[in-house]
Amino acid sequence: MNKRGFEFSFTWLFAIIVGAVIIFIAIFAATNFIQSSRLESDAKVAEQLGILLNPVETNLEDARYAVISFPTETRFISRCRETGNFGRQIISTSLKSGLGEEFTSETTENFFFNKYIFSEEQQDVKELYLLVKPFEMPYKTADLIFAYSDEYCFVNPSSEIKEDIESLNPAKINISDSDELCPRNSVRVCFNSFSGNCDISVDLNRKSVEKEEEILYYEGELVYGAIFSAPEIYECQIKRLMKRSSELAYLYAAKSDFLQGKGCSSSLGEELRRFAVLGSGINSSAELDIIANEAENLRRRNENLICGTF
Amino acid sequence: MKILSVGRSNLKGQLKIQQMAFVLVAIIIFFSIVLLFYFSIRYNSLKSDVQNLREQEVLETVRKISGTPEFLWSEEDCSACIDLDKVMVLKNRTSYSGFWKNIALLEVVRSYPSYEDEECTFGNYPNCNKITIIDNDENFRGYSAFVSLCRYSTEGYSKCELGKIIMGFETIQ
Repeated sequence: MNKRGFEFSFTWLFAIIVGAVIIFIAIFAATNFIQSSRLESDAKVAEQLGILLNPVETNLEDARYAVISFPTETRFISRCRETGNFGRQIISTSLKSGLGEEFTSETTENFFFNKYIFSEEQQDVKELYLLVKPFEMPYKTADLIFAYSDEYCFVNPSSEIKEDIESLNPAKINISDSDELCPRNSVRVCFNSFSGNCDISVDLNRKSVEKEEEILYYEGELVYGAIFSAPEIYECQIKRLMKRSSELAYLYAAKSDFLQGKGCSSSLGEELRRFAVLGSGINSSAELDIIANEAENLRRRNENLICGTF
Repeated sequence: MKILSVGRSNLKGQLKIQQMAFVLVAIIIFFSIVLLFYFSIRYNSLKSDVQNLREQEVLETVRKISGTPEFLWSEEDCSACIDLDKVMVLKNRTSYSGFWKNIALLEVVRSYPSYEDEECTFGNYPNCNKITIIDNDENFRGYSAFVSLCRYSTEGYSKCELGKIIMGFETIQ
């Protein structure tokens, strides 16, 4: 009988250690490669999405509707930051993968100063539906992008909203006379009716939207923003819009002074500066009505000018 | 005799270890070259992807810029008209620096009629040819779109002339 047994030579030991190191490095590199590839493709999709939002913006149109299709199910993340002169719209995407986590938790943030997306913070979508409307108070301030993917049912909407929906014919938005006729699993948006079956209630007289136990105030087209977006995103976008409006007011005030120097009567400079201060100081959507009244006064004053400022 | 045989076995073992070390070094060099090759291809493809995305962004933005509030001429319903007075004022607004992301050049150029003075200032406006809003003085590739440059004349009526907006993105070297 061989008492020595298996001889574990140095060559074997060396080969095992080196082999283990090589396998570890290979697994580590492969995992990192997959992660960075996912991050790269997510960042590319977010950038492409940002580019695709340009052609859907309005020129002279009152509204636009567009559908963005993703190659695979995608997590669309929209965030809003108030800091800076214009705040920031942040877009991130994460493509669904069969390997590892379904959606990556770490995503690349793509930001814009001139875009305003009203949506839920996170949506897993294959198709994203966009309604685009210009925001004028009293001059065009920006294009509002309302992004949604869920099915909505508007119960007894106002004639303007009904007209908008019927002319644009957007997918997944139904109009109904009663909440009982709404499709199952749809988000029920009730106008001037406060039945317990409604997910969102719109008070057309108070110009307010009750959603997730919060009350959001709107003016004009912002009603869609209050319906489609998360309350915190809505409030943040309102502040960003007012910041842009304020910067535009300073721009128009400078233009007004400039035109006066050219002999073209335009005396809106001071009023526009006051409007700019008012807009930049907004704290919540509850103050929108004060700004809307001031905007209406400015619009009337501008209409009477020989050289209109805006 | 015994001593000699032990020496030969040691020598054989040392040779094997040396052989293995050489093989390992060769493997490392081989994989390094493969990785270097792979990363150079990947870097180039990433560079071209970034360039393509920036190019697309500029192309889409230049098409739509006449509809943005900072350029929009609201006196008439004209989608390709820009307010030259407003653009002239915008040139000096520092708050707008960085507002148009990834744009290295943004100019409004009058095509017709042409004046002697190139760059517009408050002194020579409107008898000048060009208003530069952004010029980062870097390597860029530009795209242009024809627009109507509208403004109020000293007589108080609106006047539109032919011009173009030039927008450029920074290229990666």
